[in-house]
Amino acid sequence: MATESETLQRSGRFQYAEIKGKVFEAILIAATLVGLVALILLFGFMFFDAFGPLSASLEWYLLFFSTLVAPVSAFTLYCRRNPAARTANARASAAVFGGLVLSLAAYIVLRAMSPYGPLVYLITVSSMPLSVAVYGRYAENSYFVGPAMVLAMLLAIVWTFGSEVLLFPLLDAVFGLGNALLGGVPVLGSVPVPVGRGLLVTAIAVGVPTLALANSVLRRRTSRAGILAVFAVLGLSAAGTAGLDRLIRPILEVLPIWSAYAGVVGLPVTGILAFLLSRQRGMRAGMTAAVAVVGGGLAVVAIASAVSMDPSLWVVLFFGMGVPTAYVVGEAVISDRDGRVGVAGPFIILGGILVGAYLERLLSVTGPDSWVTPTLLTNSWNGLTATEAGAYPSIVGSIMIVSFMALMAFPVGVGAAIYLEEYAPDTGWKGRLANLVELNIANLAGVPSVVYGLLGLALFQNLLNFAPGLVFSAAATLGFLILPIVIVSAQEALKAVPDSLRQASYGMGASRWQTIRSVVLPEAVPGILTGTILALGRAIGETAPLIIIAVPTTTFTTPGGLFSSGAAVPLRIFSASANFAPEYRKGVVAALAIVLLVLMLTMNAIAIVIRNRYQR
Amino acid sequence: MSKKRETELSSLERSEFIVRKERLYGQLLAACAVLTIAVTVGIILSLSGQALTFFGHVSPIDFLTGQNWSPLSNTPSYGVIPLISGTLIVTVGSAVIALPVGLGAAIYLSEYASSRVRGIVKPLLEILAGIPTVIYGYFALVYLTPLLDAPLPIRQTIIPGEFVLVVPSISTFNALSASIAVGVMIIPMVSSISEDALSAVPDSLREAGYGLGSTKFDVSTSIVVPAATSGIVSSYVLALSRAIGETMIVVVAAGESPKMPTFPNILENFTESIETMTVAMVNIASAESLGETVAYESMFAIGLTLFAITLTMNYIAELISRQYREEY
Repeated sequence: MATESETLQRSGRFQYAEIKGKVFEAILIAATLVGLVALILLFGFMFFDAFGPLSASLEWYLLFFSTLVAPVSAFTLYCRRNPAARTANARASAAVFGGLVLSLAAYIVLRAMSPYGPLVYLITVSSMPLSVAVYGRYAENSYFVGPAMVLAMLLAIVWTFGSEVLLFPLLDAVFGLGNALLGGVPVLGSVPVPVGRGLLVTAIAVGVPTLALANSVLRRRTSRAGILAVFAVLGLSAAGTAGLDRLIRPILEVLPIWSAYAGVVGLPVTGILAFLLSRQRGMRAGMTAAVAVVGGGLAVVAIASAVSMDPSLWVVLFFGMGVPTAYVVGEAVISDRDGRVGVAGPFIILGGILVGAYLERLLSVTGPDSWVTPTLLTNSWNGLTATEAGAYPSIVGSIMIVSFMALMAFPVGVGAAIYLEEYAPDTGWKGRLANLVELNIANLAGVPSVVYGLLGLALFQNLLNFAPGLVFSAAATLGFLILPIVIVSAQEALKAVPDSLRQASYGMGASRWQTIRSVVLPEAVPGILTGTILALGRAIGETAPLIIIAVPTTTFTTPGGLFSSGAAVPLRIFSASANFAPEYRKGVVAALAIVLLVLMLTMNAIAIVIRNRYQR
Repeated sequence: MSKKRETELSSLERSEFIVRKERLYGQLLAACAVLTIAVTVGIILSLSGQALTFFGHVSPIDFLTGQNWSPLSNTPSYGVIPLISGTLIVTVGSAVIALPVGLGAAIYLSEYASSRVRGIVKPLLEILAGIPTVIYGYFALVYLTPLLDAPLPIRQTIIPGEFVLVVPSISTFNALSASIAVGVMIIPMVSSISEDALSAVPDSLREAGYGLGSTKFDVSTSIVVPAATSGIVSSYVLALSRAIGETMIVVVAAGESPKMPTFPNILENFTESIETMTVAMVNIASAESLGETVAYESMFAIGLTLFAITLTMNYIAELISRQYREEY
């Protein structure tokens, strides 16, 4: 009897507990849904206003489904069943779409800056380290090549990018100090300081590396290659400093403009391809490929000139998209028997879009009344007619700011992470310093972005007297902002590399730097890239610091270089959201917001793909 | 014999050049790490330098206790209280949304959801944190405000002759939609940090709870959540400090009219336009060709206040998670 009543009692209590548990779970699900619903609302409203899907006719949807959705989903289904094809598809898609996006970005940035300038920079910055590397290949004891390359790169960057900004003010200060000191001595004070600062820069830039190299050559026995290298460095650094814009540029500008594009985009691509192929299949294959690529580029130019089009864009597309695609597809077709079909994926999408657009025009089907149009991406802003309004200067500005920012923040962030993870000891003053740095990074990550804007304002405008709102100051300010994010994610990636690998490498007699360079970093690169790309996605939408450092909210011309006035897409959204005309509020601005969101989501997706692909 | 061993030993030593090279790389990398400290020092120096000149013109007491903020008018006055109260209004509003919702989502994801659901929902929620804030602001201004305003004003008699509920219609720029947008933005911050804390609670504690006959509800609320309190609280503090420093949402959606809060009718604060500290900074910065005026310097003074507040909050969060971190 007693047991029966007890079970009854308990079952009653259980019933109550069960209801309580169910209600609790429902509340939790509702809480989770709040976030998701907000996401859907946000995207839904903007998507609806930006694309106007209701205005399209039924035929258009039929066309859309038959040319794009149906083939793509069929192919996706096929790939789901066939893992090898899926891998090949992912690689080919990355090559095609990544190449397309990167080469378009490179083209518009180069067009805004005029490609001759970047070509000069490319030649001067890369020739020094490259010549050191080439010399290192033929030198017997080549272990000094690594530091020499780092040094050469730093020097090259300082005296190409920085001679105006970094060296001249410094030299002015030195000269001023010299005058002040010498002025007190009666005889010396009357002697003017003999050299102009430009000459001094050249002398330092030419002299120091030459002397250093000459010294190292003389210490070992003199060899012909060594002497040649001394002269090569001498000549290159002379050309790189004195002749930067005055000497090389006029020579280059004689060349047609497409060759400048080809030089900036094609040289690195060809070099990387030749390097990859010569590693995989030997020197000869690499050379053949390089010759083939250059020949292909020339053929593209010839064809484009023959039909009297400007070959610049096509050259950039050929090198930026065509070559990587050919490399990936060729590799899959030759060596990946199972996944061969997978490489068709990106071409099905591209073909679907092209065929659909062609049929749409041919059959004159009414498409949706979309605000995301070529005008939006290629025109400059128009505050009166919404259909004429575009954000081309802002898009160029955003790309320039984010890419220069990545160039600045990535090496420093990864370097700091490597120091904290691999070098910093746990004890002693160095350990305390490392602890302080870690705490400091955690705090920096929480500093509001406006405050970084104030830092940029004080540093670049008040201290260095830059003009307001330069691309350089914007990029550097955002670089400070994302530095903690890059460092933390790189640290996570480095932590994930198992210690056994390091110990194996030390056991083989490798030094610490050798271990890091050839064991730890290759393992950690995917993780580091993931974090960095996420940080770039954050930076591309950052607005407040740019307003504080006075990047203009309304620009009608593209920024012409690092030291010209910047522009950015989020600033354009900010200034345009104050416009109350409905075709701006619920049309152009929504379309711009969609453009920005798509940029950010693409970056996130790339990061997630990299993470999933390499996560073990 | 011994001589041979000596040469072997010496050949095992690295040449001096390599040693120096290794040291050079170590120093280069250390320089990168030290640069982050330089950034902090730079922030503090640049903020306090200009702020000190500002406090030469306006006494800190007037700044911290003044009830009127109008730096750009002809008779400027620099009282930061209206800005701080504006910031507080937005922070409280966003906290009301984000803290419970974020915690709920965290508990669901860590205790209830299957790994498949978690794999889909978590990245989706994290997208919310990555959306550019200017887009949130635009969304709040153009879509959220009309949506909230549609049923307003409400004049509903609850008890005839006794109590009439009045909700006035909201103005174009208002604190309500801005705080909702800020709240949505910080949901993933609360949910992902809390979820990490919840899933760090070892399974043995859960199993012990089930073994004693607890239901899932009991285990979640009386075992897992208390065990993860430090993580949850520090996620709250971090999210709030993010909300305090949030700029673009408030600039676009909450307007720029600094005012003191109205007291008995707290809800009225949300229906009207306000101005936060961050908005005041953006306003001064976008007023062109100011030069080195007092208003320009006041921007740095607000920045310093903001920096001090967020730094303290982050430090508290760090302390909480260090102090109460349970080692399982």
